[in-house]
Amino acid sequence: MGRGRPILLSLMPNDFQSVEVLGGEEEVSLLEILDHVLNYGVVIHGTLVISLAGVDLVYLGLNVVLASVETALNSLQSDPQMQMKELKK
Amino acid sequence: MSRPLAYCGFHHRAQIAVPATGVNAQPVQLISSGGLGVLWSEVEWPFVPDQMQRNALEFHEVVRHVFNQAAVIPFRLLSVFDDRQALEAFVAENEGRFLCDLERLKSFVQMECVVYPAPRPAQGQEQTGSSSGKAYLEKKAVAMRSSEGFAQAVRDAVAHLGHEVRVREGKNGTRIFVLVERGRESDFRQAVSVLPLPEHLSRRISGPWPAAEFLSDQVKAPQISGEKTAGQKIAGAK
Repeated sequence: MGRGRPILLSLMPNDFQSVEVLGGEEEVSLLEILDHVLNYGVVIHGTLVISLAGVDLVYLGLNVVLASVETALNSLQSDPQMQMKELKK
Repeated sequence: MSRPLAYCGFHHRAQIAVPATGVNAQPVQLISSGGLGVLWSEVEWPFVPDQMQRNALEFHEVVRHVFNQAAVIPFRLLSVFDDRQALEAFVAENEGRFLCDLERLKSFVQMECVVYPAPRPAQGQEQTGSSSGKAYLEKKAVAMRSSEGFAQAVRDAVAHLGHEVRVREGKNGTRIFVLVERGRESDFRQAVSVLPLPEHLSRRISGPWPAAEFLSDQVKAPQISGEKTAGQKIAGAK
């Protein structure tokens, strides 16, 4: 798994339809979940030292994708249809 | 090959229910050390790219299951260890730090508000001249000042219920993290959702989440002693 297979590409249109302006509701979107499970919490320092050709490439790849996830989160709330078309390209 | 995948740490008590299965329907197992419980599963590693989304949701479900009952310290999804012994050694080594953070955060959840520039109007609707570099930079500067102002407004609005507030500036906006007493999430939403939003900005409110942003640095990024020895290192995708 590397940078060529970002998570975002595996998301299906239906997933994005669940991302909507929440207006304070308790609903949690899929992209928020992906952002949190990958970007928040305990991270192990040793990875960078030990797995240069393996996990690190995966991990860095995912972090690159996460920037896109955040962008998608922000944009989707205002114009889900337009963003969905872009993400499906 | 299979590897231990760590989900989260929590103050282990008998009344906390643990989910039966986690990522890839693998049994969720518990390592307990001095009052600290850490949930983990033996998973095939590396993950299959096409199943990453499902893996992430399954991972989240395990963490959420415990978080609904008590404070947790979540691991990031890719926290995979070489073997059970490496995970056990990690838990034993970090038990004190984890328990200290869990005690400090036991009554709190993390609420968030992200403020970001509202999408630009579609092509052809933009005002004349707004596409120049100077106009863009000016607009960006205004948006940044507005974000900072709104972040301060959030701080003020949640001062009565926010135990701690942290603000992070990102490429795509400002993320405001607030440590809120468990059970007062709706108060947070109410306080933040009624704040007037500066022009050209949008907001997104979410939570409750585990208080990952408020973990101590030593817990957030623990050092692993002897990290190049077989028993301690983190697994690689080979």
